[in-house]
Amino acid sequence: MKLKNIFRYLMMALLVVHLSACNSDTDAEQKFDVTPTERLNAQKKELNDLLLSSEQGWKAVYFTDDTQLGGFTHLFKFLPGKKVEMASDFDDDTEKYTSDYDVVLGSTVSVLFNTFNRIHLLSDSDNYPTAALRGKGYLGDFQFLYYGQENGDIIFKSNRLVREVRFVKATAQDWVDLEKNLEMEEKVIGEDTRPLFRFLETNDGTTAKKYDFSFSSVTRFSNSEAIDNSGEVISMGIGYTPTGIVVSPAIEVKGQKLTNFLYNDADGSFTATGTAGVSASIKYSNAPLVLTDDYKLLLPGSGNNVYGYIYNLTKFEGANSALFLSLLGNSEQAAGAMLTRVQLWFNNADGTNYIEYRFGDATGATIARRYHYFTLTANATNKTVTFTPGVWKSSTAVGAPAIATPSFLKNLDDQFMNPQGLYFAEISGLGYKAYTFTSTTTPFRMVAYSFQ
Amino acid sequence: MKIVEKYRIIVLLAGVLFFGACAQEESLTDSQLDYTVPEKTALDNWIEANYLDPYNINAQYKWNQNTVDNTRFLFPPMVDKVQPALDVVKQIWLDSYSAVGGSDFVKIIAPREIVLVGGVNSNSNGTRTLGIADSGQRITLFEVDYLNTKNRANVTEFIHTIQHEYVHILNQNKSFDKQTWQKISPGDYTGTWHLENLTVSRNLGFVTNYARNNITEDFAETASIILTSSKAEYAALLASITDPIGKAKLKQKEAIVVQYYKDAFNIDFYALRDAAEINTNKVINN
Repeated sequence: MKLKNIFRYLMMALLVVHLSACNSDTDAEQKFDVTPTERLNAQKKELNDLLLSSEQGWKAVYFTDDTQLGGFTHLFKFLPGKKVEMASDFDDDTEKYTSDYDVVLGSTVSVLFNTFNRIHLLSDSDNYPTAALRGKGYLGDFQFLYYGQENGDIIFKSNRLVREVRFVKATAQDWVDLEKNLEMEEKVIGEDTRPLFRFLETNDGTTAKKYDFSFSSVTRFSNSEAIDNSGEVISMGIGYTPTGIVVSPAIEVKGQKLTNFLYNDADGSFTATGTAGVSASIKYSNAPLVLTDDYKLLLPGSGNNVYGYIYNLTKFEGANSALFLSLLGNSEQAAGAMLTRVQLWFNNADGTNYIEYRFGDATGATIARRYHYFTLTANATNKTVTFTPGVWKSSTAVGAPAIATPSFLKNLDDQFMNPQGLYFAEISGLGYKAYTFTSTTTPFRMVAYSFQ
Repeated sequence: MKIVEKYRIIVLLAGVLFFGACAQEESLTDSQLDYTVPEKTALDNWIEANYLDPYNINAQYKWNQNTVDNTRFLFPPMVDKVQPALDVVKQIWLDSYSAVGGSDFVKIIAPREIVLVGGVNSNSNGTRTLGIADSGQRITLFEVDYLNTKNRANVTEFIHTIQHEYVHILNQNKSFDKQTWQKISPGDYTGTWHLENLTVSRNLGFVTNYARNNITEDFAETASIILTSSKAEYAALLASITDPIGKAKLKQKEAIVVQYYKDAFNIDFYALRDAAEINTNKVINN
């Protein structure tokens, strides 16, 4: 082909390209009517308008991580000028404070509490509830990603741990009642006047299942292990409400998800009720969930066994009940000396049993002793032992005379001599062998070191 | 017509078409981005007057997740703690450098942003991070909520952070004599500095335990500890070192620091220390 022709075709091709180039249909197919910037701006406005729309603001029970922590209730009242009033039940201070907020673009449109307020207390690396959370505080976020609305609630997800946080419209009463959450905390922890044993019971309408309930108030978290030895554990974070608790994750019974528990002041129980007889309750009990045969160690023929409270060892165990510690303190105060031992002796060589109350000075050196003799009967059905009181003495020497009941020991001693009896069971995890004497009718429990 | 002549017109026409083709009349509308200036508080105005205008340094106290480590659990400072903290930083750090290095010194070599964080930046090994210098551009100061401007130890620790971080920034602009420094205590650096004993570290020729982390930290610690101590305090520190070899090593490091300030920035290091001391007293006594 001649050069001329090559040039001609080339020019013609170029012309065709030029003339067809300005086809106006050059845009990529539009999935949306407006540009991404416009959509983001619209979403920001939507969120901000929504936040401002609730007259009494919003309430959120924020479970930062419901695998190890409970819920913290926050109330927010958003004001024009990007101000927000906030209150929280994180600690005793449920007052309202004002700070700033903003609606910003994070990984999506989000609300950010950008100056200090109550919600930031959950994100203090230096204030952590457990050793495992050192440097992480309560794993809290204060930027929440907007995920839309549901039945008038605003659905957010926390910025870092991506947990759902639901903002529910608050009422004026919510602001007034917030401090009641902390009163409820005391009920969840368990009052001294209530029985010592607690369990979580689920009921699917026909059968009930019991779990040993335990709760830590620093983490607001509960672990309850099934008592049927199946190893099943119900773990849940707990948030306080003025009327009860809210848990996360929900307890699932027969396909129903139970989250809201109501408190009953008559018996101190918390109950979540579903439909068709389904429920879950946290209840008190005077009887241990699992009865043991440990009481047989105290019976004649088991040897001269001795178990005792020791002032510089067993006193610090959490299993000592508040009632025991207060009666102990009262006795010490009335006697004017420290009780260094409260030691129970069984099956002595002469066939007797007695409780030895040993008093010491500030260094622990013994200054006096009192002995209360008793006889023992066992109840094989309830697995309890009952002490029948005998004489008091100040010495175990043969022929030592009986003395009058020491008034300073009476109230403490009465708990041991309970006519309804005591439970006696081994307690593990203390680093030494120990048992507990627990009343069958009162919240009295003493940890005793095992001398054998 | 020669072939070239013949097609010249066509080429010209093609060119006109090429450049003029896709012209489309579309007038610009307003930006969709929100560029309204947020309403300024008294604090914002103070920052503008004391940091932004004179030094072109921004002080950020409102939270922005992009300027902090998102894996750490930190929070913004209480608003009423911001100005006192920034005031301390300005008086003891900015004013001292300006007085000795000339009014333009910190304007030229300075972080462009100071980020304030309210709480403790606690590490999993039990230590606290007091400050961070990012690429010479940003200094993050922690524990702003806990600063008590009337407590000398507290103010000194806080200012130590910014002095320390600023030494890093100076080093990032002009490096110090690393080779000479490296030879002074080569075997005594350790990653587990936080487990070391201060008396032992001093006797090895380190001003603090943290100085044992690496030579860059050693330099910054040596300089910043001298800057946050009075002449007498530093003399007492030296006097407390019983090992003469350790003492000599620390003095050698001090000499390198002094020389570095002279050579790199023409600053009399001791005059700078004295200025900082005067300004520190001013802060605490006011």
